[in-house]
Amino acid sequence: MPESPKLNIGIFYFDLSTISMFIITGVILFIIARLAVRNLSVENPSKLQNVMEWVVEFVHGMVASTMPLHIGKRFISIALALILFIFIANLLGLPFAIITKHTEEVTLFGYTLVSQETIDKWLAKDGYDHAPVLWWKSPTADLSVTLGLALVTFFLIHYNGLKLNRTHYLRHYIEPYPIFLPLNIIKEIFKPLTLGLRLFANILAGEIMIKVIIMAGIFGIPFLMAWQGFSIFIGGLQAFVFVILSMVYIAQATVHEEQ
Amino acid sequence: MGFIQWESIVFAVISFGILYWLLNKYAFGPLFSIMEQRRERVLGDLKKAEEDRKQAEQYLQEQKQAVQEAREEAMKIIEQARQTSARQADQIIAQAREEAARLKDEALKEIENEKNKAVAQLKSQVSAMSVMIASKIIEKQIDEKTHKELIDQYLKEVGS
Repeated sequence: MPESPKLNIGIFYFDLSTISMFIITGVILFIIARLAVRNLSVENPSKLQNVMEWVVEFVHGMVASTMPLHIGKRFISIALALILFIFIANLLGLPFAIITKHTEEVTLFGYTLVSQETIDKWLAKDGYDHAPVLWWKSPTADLSVTLGLALVTFFLIHYNGLKLNRTHYLRHYIEPYPIFLPLNIIKEIFKPLTLGLRLFANILAGEIMIKVIIMAGIFGIPFLMAWQGFSIFIGGLQAFVFVILSMVYIAQATVHEEQ
Repeated sequence: MGFIQWESIVFAVISFGILYWLLNKYAFGPLFSIMEQRRERVLGDLKKAEEDRKQAEQYLQEQKQAVQEAREEAMKIIEQARQTSARQADQIIAQAREEAARLKDEALKEIENEKNKAVAQLKSQVSAMSVMIASKIIEKQIDEKTHKELIDQYLKEVGS
């Protein structure tokens, strides 16, 4: 795995490639969304507005399929933001990656980005006369980002469970018997963990596969095209899976069906 | 840890929150409100179309009824006219008949009168002539007065 540039401020180490890619994704999403709602019209929507409305309808359908709409209405916009963000993030790593080779320490405004220790570590390896540093990648190919998004889901699940459905939400921890409490807690922790890991692993695997195919040189081009096309599909699918599972988890916590 | 960096996690959560807030405020909010407006407009249009349809139906019923009424009235008027004309014709015929009967009666009466007059005239003439004839034949055998009585009696018998 190539290194990431890390900005060291005090005790904090900020992963610059992750942060910058996250911001780029957010900016792209915001620009697209703003373009879509420029010249909003009831009568004569623009093409982009139509596309956006289709996405909204799609998310609306997803939410409606997991929970009653009077509860689900409030989650439509967060689900929309999640699915669009993850989809765009998944696609960003597909066209290219930017990797720089370094033999010396990299600093920016006096802050170390790639430390001499890291470079030494790489130089000590066989076959390396430099330390590769990855700048451009999918933000979702970073476990921290996917776990962060999963944490958002985690907050949503438990906050809304406590707010909308308190007694049944709390009671489900000791069902069917109080002795199941630790199991139930583990289950609740593993929900966001699996969400984050699934998304991260799929996207990272896609990017690694692209690197592997590139090693095949010119003969790899058809495979590369096929794989990138497939990766677009995977990117959409994983975004969908992430959001629909989030909605299912939220529905489990918030919806209580009267027997 | 190579994979997990808590700084990145915190950054992801916070910046996703900010992004969500921005999107909600500047993009999704307006979009949702537009979609809601469209939904309401479509519902309104459907409702209005339904109302219009009902109204049109009502108008159609009213028109049909009006046509029916007009037709009935026309029939009534025709019937009335027919009755009136028939009655008038009867009246005229009756009048004509009456007139004709009256004229005939008058004529008959006149004829009777004339006849009576003629008979009276004839009676007087015949009596005078027969007196003359008789006096000529008998030549003063009977006086004129007795003779006239005799002939009158005779003529009365003939006339009755």
